[in-house]
Amino acid sequence: MTAAQAGTNQQVLAGAGPAGPPGQGGPAGAAARTSRLGSSSLAFRILRQRETGIVLVGLLMFVVFSVLSNGTFDSVENWGGITSTAAELGIVTIGVALLMICGEFDLSVGANFSFAALVMATMIQDHYPPGAALVVALAIGAGIGLLNGLVTVTLDIPSFITTLGAFFLWTGVTLIVTGGETVTILPPTPALLNVLGGMLGSQIRSELLWWLGLAVVVGVVLQRTVTGNWFFAVGGKRLAAVEAGVPVTRTRVLAFVICGLFAAFAGAVQLGHLDSMSASFGTTYQLEAIAASVVGGCALMGGRGSMLGAVVGTLILAMLDSGLILSGVSPYWYEAVVGVILVAAVAMHTRVGQLVSGAGA
Amino acid sequence: MSAAAGPTPGTAGAPAGAAPWFEARGVSKHFGGVVALDGIDLAFYPGQIVGLIGDNGSGKSTFVKIASGVYQPSRGSFAVGGKEVRFRNAADARQAGIETVHQDLGLVDSMSIVRNFFLGAEVRRGPFLDLRRMRRETNRMLEEIGLGNLRDLGQDVSRLSGGERQAISIGRAVAFEKKMLILDEPTSALSIAETEKVFEFMRRARQRGLAVVCVMHNLAQVRDVADRFVVFWHGKKVVDVTNEGQSEQELAGYIIKGKLSELGIDQSSLDTGALRVLAQE
Repeated sequence: MTAAQAGTNQQVLAGAGPAGPPGQGGPAGAAARTSRLGSSSLAFRILRQRETGIVLVGLLMFVVFSVLSNGTFDSVENWGGITSTAAELGIVTIGVALLMICGEFDLSVGANFSFAALVMATMIQDHYPPGAALVVALAIGAGIGLLNGLVTVTLDIPSFITTLGAFFLWTGVTLIVTGGETVTILPPTPALLNVLGGMLGSQIRSELLWWLGLAVVVGVVLQRTVTGNWFFAVGGKRLAAVEAGVPVTRTRVLAFVICGLFAAFAGAVQLGHLDSMSASFGTTYQLEAIAASVVGGCALMGGRGSMLGAVVGTLILAMLDSGLILSGVSPYWYEAVVGVILVAAVAMHTRVGQLVSGAGA
Repeated sequence: MSAAAGPTPGTAGAPAGAAPWFEARGVSKHFGGVVALDGIDLAFYPGQIVGLIGDNGSGKSTFVKIASGVYQPSRGSFAVGGKEVRFRNAADARQAGIETVHQDLGLVDSMSIVRNFFLGAEVRRGPFLDLRRMRRETNRMLEEIGLGNLRDLGQDVSRLSGGERQAISIGRAVAFEKKMLILDEPTSALSIAETEKVFEFMRRARQRGLAVVCVMHNLAQVRDVADRFVVFWHGKKVVDVTNEGQSEQELAGYIIKGKLSELGIDQSSLDTGALRVLAQE
């Protein structure tokens, strides 16, 4: 909507009838303002947030692992490791969660991740400016997302299928182009790679800041902008969005583009972290990112979800990975436990959702 | 040529001397081989409530979806204020001044009341949604509609009852109404008192000079509120008359016996469907 339209609407609203002074309901109105569930107190507002349950689960996991690991799990060193592993998956998950809110899937993010980062690594190796290599990588990611979106909307097929096809396509292309070789960037490492994934101080890597910063930005876009509102509407009920005049096709394609962009950026960040890239990196990201999104409260069929949930969901997976090892449990348990947590989390979100729905206007 | 269009296509039931605000000119809609609408000529005037009636599958809802920009016509065109227009989507129709309450209510269950109210017409402040203003306006408009008990505007629409949902949907269209208000089966989930309230809105909209179109099954209710009746049958407009205080039976009889024979419609074919609807109650 343009600013001019907004102006028109406001005029219409102002002229829609005998308006009382805004926000004054009188004593009766004030009494009625108390909601059915008690009040709009802070405690109530926190409790009805969809993410509250999963945040508590995350905190519980933190405590349990800290106890079981005799204090190694909650060390600063370990959290430096957890957060930098989580950051790459977390950046992928930001895009995947946004796309799921819009009612679509992207199973090609892992392939996109490695393809974009391998092209970037190869360009840097061949002495192209690192900045140009990053731009090309991001363009590849956005382009793969655009293609996913256009194919999905024009052929009118489920994005699950479109992007499953894209996963195979880009995995194959990556192997053809690189012959399966790992590309390593020899020192001196370009400064750009340090900005993307290098150490900041002695414990944390810059990728943690990228992850959290981007999550905040996307969170604000989702909750506070018209476009974000449209992602929720299109994923929640596409017909209603059409009837309200939301540009549904454009909104869906945009969500695919953003998802692809974030997958490629995550690849660039991993390159910055490792200074090397291989087609085998990121191959499980599509499933992990969907799992992290769902654990964090994204509805599988769209319309619900948040960046807080996407971040906490990713953190829970990363804590599991590290916590199991440090608690003396075989790392082979990781996948098994993820499966159980995934199902339990969805069951929890469904129950809580039935008790209280609503996340504030 | 449509035999059913009548002697003066699209102009029957016009208020004396008034110019139509919105006109359908030979509008047809095909879905594959199925003809949902067949050459509809229909005009709507400011300050007039039109009751659009017909059996299931008569094309009323298709007409509503086309007039509100959700579908595009296969043939024919629309004119607003005498000028030809093309609605590429619902945003175009809303931009032109048409607000619609669709049969499915057009609500997103997983979104809050406030966000549903302003969906597709969000109020911005800089790059951001002006949620405070949207909440305030929603609050005020709901109070006006008499839904002052829905105080928790942050709750999801999925938590509301059928009647409340319908009221939200109607309230939204009324709040944004500009030139024309289309309601598709607006009272199907409402109590008698709530239905009267909806009629009150329609009358107030008429008073403010809006063209009001109301799709309805219940002939008794339409008679109470409409200034003019339009009957669809198998995608064609078969009747277009003004409401001159006829009783329901008179109305049904007039429509069926008088007008249809006048138009040369085969009444035996109508007995199966249209009569049932028209004579109901």
